[in-house]
Amino acid sequence: MRAALSAEWVKMRSVPATAQAVGVATLTIVLGLVWTLYVADVAEDRGRAVSAMAPELGFLPLVQISMAVLGVLAITPEYAGGQIRSTLAAVPSRGRLVLAKAVAVGGVTLATGTVVILATYTVGRVLAGDGLVDYRSDGLHTVAGPVLSVAVLALAGLGLGLATRSTAGGIVTVAGLLFVLPGIAAYLPEPWNERLSAVLIRDLTSAVGGDGTLPPWAAVLALLAYAVIPLAAGHHLMRRRDV
Amino acid sequence: MCGTGPRAQPGGVIELRNLTKRYGDTLAVDDLSFRVEPGRVTGFLGPNGAGKSTTMRMVLGLDTPTSGEALVDGGRYVDLPRPLTRVGALLDAGAVHLGRSAYNHLLALALSNDLPETRVAEVLEQVGLAGVARRKAGGFSLGMKQRLGIAAALLGDPGVLMFDEPVNGLDPDGVRWIRHLMRGLAGEGRTILLSSHLMSEMALTADHIVIVGRGRLVVQATVSELTERYPSLEEAYLELTAASLEYGANR
Repeated sequence: MRAALSAEWVKMRSVPATAQAVGVATLTIVLGLVWTLYVADVAEDRGRAVSAMAPELGFLPLVQISMAVLGVLAITPEYAGGQIRSTLAAVPSRGRLVLAKAVAVGGVTLATGTVVILATYTVGRVLAGDGLVDYRSDGLHTVAGPVLSVAVLALAGLGLGLATRSTAGGIVTVAGLLFVLPGIAAYLPEPWNERLSAVLIRDLTSAVGGDGTLPPWAAVLALLAYAVIPLAAGHHLMRRRDV
Repeated sequence: MCGTGPRAQPGGVIELRNLTKRYGDTLAVDDLSFRVEPGRVTGFLGPNGAGKSTTMRMVLGLDTPTSGEALVDGGRYVDLPRPLTRVGALLDAGAVHLGRSAYNHLLALALSNDLPETRVAEVLEQVGLAGVARRKAGGFSLGMKQRLGIAAALLGDPGVLMFDEPVNGLDPDGVRWIRHLMRGLAGEGRTILLSSHLMSEMALTADHIVIVGRGRLVVQATVSELTERYPSLEEAYLELTAASLEYGANR
């Protein structure tokens, strides 16, 4: 397992896509900085405190989607060329390969998510300074959900990439989970709109910090299911299919 | 274990037992049984669509047989703990991520099988790619990709080697290099299964020939047996596979 993992790590760091996806995610820090300067400016003009979206939450989708794409790209280019045949000839156990990829993708995206979200949080609070900017956030513990959601989406991307074997298919599916399902949920009749929304990634992300329909422990489990189910499906299909 | 001198142990045996692969209505491989023995180059011949590549993929556990089995030293490839040290294969030159350098491509394969990083430089040197090791494989010519695929096959110093059309895209110098490489590897006691459509080249390289057509075994014989019965290996091949051509002009 250690051998398969070190191989996957080399593969991740040796393609430009990984650095590009991490680079896009770090743009969040810049956006958070600009946003904070803007809100502070507005507050100063009005001469009173302004309540505004916290940047680490408002720009979170950028981190989520860039890391989800990184997850998809950890597998689908192997299918686009013939690399997957070299990979499976070297590591014939599909289970070990999927696990190694999941640990590599999970590790990189968890680290990226933690750094980017904490940095955005810190830059926002430090620059906001004198108390005129009132970010709608309950404090530092609310970043746990966003950080977890980033790694979960990356692993979901990996699983969906395994299942679809297509870059476009994987990205469209994971983007659908993140951006399209909430829209569909909103149009469902009562009480199904709220029931579905409660188990979607956006609501679960805030529920981890205590601001949601589900209790935090249930929200964590539900988020983990978003990673485990696609990975299990991808692994199952990989075992059954020829390459 | 990474030396290049003669090996103490024989290379290993590839054994197909009633190997069959069906895709829908098509039998790609039909009840195929033969053994590939160490110490010689076994040429694997057959028209396009005869099932050669499918057979090789089944040996590597990439495709699952519909029935029958493909064994390496009596066991399944997928059960080998460090498979690259037992079997090396070049299936197609495209089996590489185009955005990754040749060096990193081989490094990942080496690490996955607990091989020392020094092997990467050794095989790159051996196939003549040391000078372009840091260049992305996407910029490689077909011939260079073939050499990279051969480097990957040699990485674990395996006793069994399979090459599917390795001379495609190689220049005359490369073709001769492949011939000497195959002869040298077999001379060290390794087991070589080599597919190619270049009959004159095959006559110079192989000791033993297995011909398949429409997924079935047509003949297996030594090269000398075939060239005694027919004017040349090419004549033997054309005559023996005439009945099993799937695509081709009348002749």
